[in-house]
Amino acid sequence: MDVVQLQRQLVDYRASLYHEAFLDEQFTQLQELQDENNPDFVVEVVSLFFEDSERLLNELTKALEQQSIDFKRLDAHVHQLKGSSSSIGAQRVQKVCIAFRNDCEEQNVEGCLKCLQQVKHEYSLVKTKLETMFKLEQQILAAGGSVPM
Amino acid sequence: MHGNIWVVQNPQGSAQSMALVIRFQVRPSITITMTESGESSDQPRSNSLFRGLQVLLADDDDVNRAVTRKLLEKLGCTVSAVSSGFECLSAIGPASSPFQIVILELQMPELDGFEVAIRIRKYRSRSWPLIVAMTASGDEDVWKKCSQIGMNGVIRKPVLLQEIAIELRKVLVQANKVV
Repeated sequence: MDVVQLQRQLVDYRASLYHEAFLDEQFTQLQELQDENNPDFVVEVVSLFFEDSERLLNELTKALEQQSIDFKRLDAHVHQLKGSSSSIGAQRVQKVCIAFRNDCEEQNVEGCLKCLQQVKHEYSLVKTKLETMFKLEQQILAAGGSVPM
Repeated sequence: MHGNIWVVQNPQGSAQSMALVIRFQVRPSITITMTESGESSDQPRSNSLFRGLQVLLADDDDVNRAVTRKLLEKLGCTVSAVSSGFECLSAIGPASSPFQIVILELQMPELDGFEVAIRIRKYRSRSWPLIVAMTASGDEDVWKKCSQIGMNGVIRKPVLLQEIAIELRKVLVQANKVV
């Protein structure tokens, strides 16, 4: 595939991510923050997000497996996940976190379990999408082209 | 203010003119370069108000810290970032600190932003460094509490470049006026 085709693919792919609410304007801001001083800024921040999220999802799973659930701790983890997902523009993840926090507040175990499932699902979706997008960018660069903004 | 005030009366006994003399002490001003217009332009990056501004950023979340830091650097600030309330207090230190502004996430484990601000205002100075809170909360009570504690501004999360610029400019302009 030639560079122009790849670039078009990337632009379309990105547009679909916004259209389907996987990403929002916060992500656009991330891209705008990337410059010659920090050429890998977006990938770095997103990688941080992946690491943090995976850790948090593990903690959430463990916390919900306990005999006596510590809802405060649970809420603290969800709050963190909500914060970081909102910073990078992972809108769908952030939305589930909002519902999750409500269930924590109401100490609704079943609701929390459902939310955990949902947030894991949304996280894995956005992770795959972002990785696909980065791969496309790499392909464009490897083919000698520049990544469209 | 060690001044004087007097009234010159006319023949009927009512005031004809009044004079007021006030003595002001000349004080050293904060060395902040400001542009002429205080308006936010669509290019906050070109504003020299932020260039070289020493900022201490405290946020326990890695992702948020990385993003906020970059936003501040984009504005021209020199940023030191810490990940806890305790580190924040250490960085400020007991004596004069190099930081002009401290940007504090309110919800941090162990020592939260409120506590940090209370301690800074109590043990360091009532007005310096400037303290700006960061919070995802839109709750008015939260903002009221911030100002009661002696914080100078609040930034709402998720943080957008334009909003940081506007709030920081407001905080700096206010500080400059007071001194």
